[in-house]
Amino acid sequence: MTVPSTPRSATPVARDPRATGVRRHRREDRAWRIGGRLATILPIVGFAFVMIVLAVKAWPAFRVSGLGFITHSAWQPGNTYGGTQRVHGVLIPQGATYGAWPMLLGTLQTSAIALLVALPISIGTAFALTERLPKWLSAPLGFFVEILAGVPSVIIGLWGVLVLGPFLSRDVYPIVANHLPNVPVLRYFRGSVGYGEGLLTSGLVLGLMIVPVIASTTRDLFLQVPPLPKEGALALGMTDAEVARRVTIPWVRSGIIGATVLGLGRALGETIAVAMVSGSVLGTVAPNVYGTMTTIAATIVTQLDSAATDGTGFAVATLAEAGLVLAIISVVVNLLARTIVRRAGRMAAPVGRA
Amino acid sequence: MTTTLRSGVRLMTVLTIAGALTATGLSTAASAGTKKKPKAAAPATITVEKPAAANLTETGSTLLYPLWNIWGPAYHHTYPQVTLTTAGTGSGTGIADATNNTVNIGSSDAYLSPSTVAANPGLLNIPLAISYQVIAYNIPGVTAHLKLNGTILTKIYLGRITRWDDPAIAKLNPGINLPGTTIVPVHRADGSGDTFLFSQYLARQDGPEWGSGNYGTSVTWPALHSALSAQGNGGMVTTCQATPGCIAYIGISFLAQAQKAGLQYAQLLNGNGQYMMPTAQAVAKEAAQYANITPASGAISMINGRVNGGYPIINYEYGIVNKNQTSASTAQAVRSLLEWAISPKFGNQMKFLNQVNFLPLPAKVVAQSYKQIKSIK
Amino acid sequence: MSVVPASYPSTRWRRAKVGLFRAFTILALAFVIGPALWIIGGVVVKAVPGWRWNVLTTLSQGTSGGLENAIVGTLLLMLGVTVVAGSIGILTGIYLAEIAPPTRRGRSSGAVVRVVIDVLSGFPSIVLGYVGYVALVVGLHWGYSFLPAVLILSLMVIPYIAKATESALHQVPTSYREGAEALGMSLGYGLRKVVVRSALPGIVTGLLLALAIAGGETAPLLYTAGASNTLPSIAPLHHPVAYLTYYVWTDWNQPMASAHVVSYDASLILIVMVLTLLVVSRVIVARTQRHSESAR
Repeated sequence: MTVPSTPRSATPVARDPRATGVRRHRREDRAWRIGGRLATILPIVGFAFVMIVLAVKAWPAFRVSGLGFITHSAWQPGNTYGGTQRVHGVLIPQGATYGAWPMLLGTLQTSAIALLVALPISIGTAFALTERLPKWLSAPLGFFVEILAGVPSVIIGLWGVLVLGPFLSRDVYPIVANHLPNVPVLRYFRGSVGYGEGLLTSGLVLGLMIVPVIASTTRDLFLQVPPLPKEGALALGMTDAEVARRVTIPWVRSGIIGATVLGLGRALGETIAVAMVSGSVLGTVAPNVYGTMTTIAATIVTQLDSAATDGTGFAVATLAEAGLVLAIISVVVNLLARTIVRRAGRMAAPVGRA
Repeated sequence: MTTTLRSGVRLMTVLTIAGALTATGLSTAASAGTKKKPKAAAPATITVEKPAAANLTETGSTLLYPLWNIWGPAYHHTYPQVTLTTAGTGSGTGIADATNNTVNIGSSDAYLSPSTVAANPGLLNIPLAISYQVIAYNIPGVTAHLKLNGTILTKIYLGRITRWDDPAIAKLNPGINLPGTTIVPVHRADGSGDTFLFSQYLARQDGPEWGSGNYGTSVTWPALHSALSAQGNGGMVTTCQATPGCIAYIGISFLAQAQKAGLQYAQLLNGNGQYMMPTAQAVAKEAAQYANITPASGAISMINGRVNGGYPIINYEYGIVNKNQTSASTAQAVRSLLEWAISPKFGNQMKFLNQVNFLPLPAKVVAQSYKQIKSIK
Repeated sequence: MSVVPASYPSTRWRRAKVGLFRAFTILALAFVIGPALWIIGGVVVKAVPGWRWNVLTTLSQGTSGGLENAIVGTLLLMLGVTVVAGSIGILTGIYLAEIAPPTRRGRSSGAVVRVVIDVLSGFPSIVLGYVGYVALVVGLHWGYSFLPAVLILSLMVIPYIAKATESALHQVPTSYREGAEALGMSLGYGLRKVVVRSALPGIVTGLLLALAIAGGETAPLLYTAGASNTLPSIAPLHHPVAYLTYYVWTDWNQPMASAHVVSYDASLILIVMVLTLLVVSRVIVARTQRHSESAR
């Protein structure tokens, strides 16, 4: 669809008087309107249903754990085969106490690594595809980005745990770990490199998974940058690196930020691939970047099964609480991305330098 | 070093064929004791009902899953009107699904917890076969079957013993040259019946230190940075293989893979003060003792028994079934399938069980399971 | 393109920067293409040498056997998603782009839907799966079955379809609508005959990509569709449905070599499916591009 994009402002013009069309088409018009409205209500109903179920299921766990749920580290199912006890009116197994801090931190850490890796790669890829390579080459290579977006996450996880993880822990991590100086920040890259499953591997795999999200949007944004300012900058004697830094990227900066935040949302919620490469260790924070850990999403998929053996239902409720925390983070991140992208859209119009 | 176990596996076949191939130096007296058990099981007169057409579903234990995949087609071959759909989802969902009647049979390595029974009085846990667990390790240069016990394992998993040349281990294993390798304890990441068995062994052997009630399909592992977790039994094996110094608990159906991965396994202290190899014979001994005290409900822990010559970590594999099925014909098909499964002439013959290193149920337990199956309506 | 005039100051460092920038872009691209090839090549290398065509026509036995049931199940789930998510998503997109009455400030209404769709498009799939399990599979006693799986997958991909539809419609020139109106067409008739029709390639592309996402999903299906070694039943409830990703996820760390074969075979089939969907959508885009360029 390379039909020149229509200015948004033009649509209302096309819209308002059309309803006053031929009389015998009124019924069809009404069907469209009602059908459309119904269709828009369904996702809202579905989303509301999801949030309500989560909240209702999580309520008992929230009554027991309170806000301490997101600050405590212990993940103790308690004596599921022992006696039960009542805490704040909720029946729970003796000794059961849950804290989600390590998995919350793990979720944020892996996503942060993913972003740090994916953002430069995505921007570089977008430049390579739009400006560096001839079209006959960039079109098929661009297709690879789409393929990467389409590869099921379970297959990426399989590759991560069987191929990438062992490779990194054998041939790459030791070199990094042994040669970095023992100073703050870099210290976290020293020490035991583990066996390929852990924080850094998870972050890298996630990064690979969100590159297509950011890269394809960035590529489209770059294509929207009008050629005139770029040519002008070149004519002034700027190198293409300088044009990229001073013209192209600033032109679409907020769009890139929006896409990045969308990628962040994807990384936060990715489940199966992380469950395969994180090591899935509950209750501990990784001591260095190679350490094993888990995320909220991976915990839900790996623990829902055994949670069901807790006859009091407290473990299942706790997973709902964890899910709710993840859902809230995801909603906030998405709203943030939305605001940024929208502001970008609004800003683009009055600038109008083209 | 694997000869002992191979001979053990061979012994299982020997038990049923009643051959005299006990040239491996294992106690013949003991095998003679268990040899009679399966034979005595036959008169339990199980009649497999002829079912009406039905589609049955099974979910649950990943340890039992390979056996269901062997049982299903074999049963279907005899009774083509019944198809069985199996899924290895994990013991927990097996129990939950049976509770909610979303499947006909849930499989579990662990019996139902008291709180689950209290919440769902209609649930049965029916023993279907006997399984056991080995403690495997990967210590460079050590090919011996180390002697280990619950106290040492507890200390290892709590991070209080961190090196393989720890005096406590060395004292138990004189003459074995233990390296100073760091111990990497591996546990299951997912909820697991194997975790249930292992943590129960620790709780029974070293209650004060591990916590006598600290067992379940998912337990609290101490925050150890040296520890690793792995997904599924297969993950335990591959993780241990890649990790010099590791120790892991592995379900018996994965033994062949563990051996192929170069892992060695331990002799464990039983409740009678003996260090036992996980041979079919030792497992059968333990099972035979527990057969007499297994309650009608089938819910019993067979961990750390005071059994002369018994291996301490064995368990029943359970079929979790809701007594009240959705229809009479479904109930009949479920009964038929389970009757077929526990019958020594059909599902419980070594031809099937050997493939996953399971052992048949003792005769008394077969009779009890049969009674439970009969109560499915 | 990048001729640097000699008069410009400090050229050496600037040249170096250009070199670095170019190297960086190519390297970045290599970091995308490399792993993509590595992943797909890895699956192909593992699956193709031992490939047997009867995998497509025999039922699974869990850790061995074929994948016919999983292929049929995945296709069936995709079909269900096409019907449910396709209709809701496309209608939502059309409503947002064409029908929603403008508010006083000139922006189109439907703000709530837009927010919900944005939020849903990034919503963690496992949370949806959890809700499907707790509320539909267990709560409503539907059991592992077709319907909860399709509903959860649909909720997941409706945003993609709605957004694709909306943006495809935005790219239809305003003159088309004006033309339709000038000819006296009603809103509905004009939509049907002119506007939606010319946006159809974009809509179909969005739908195909959504199907690729749905077909490659694992986590929510584990707790809604369950698992099954038989062909899917016609009944939408109480009968679990097989799907390819289940076999990838379950069989890769089973002890038997036959299970690894199943895992890689399922991976290969999934990749072929996804590639097919991508190529088809590419072809559609390419054809309309040629068409629109000639029209211009």
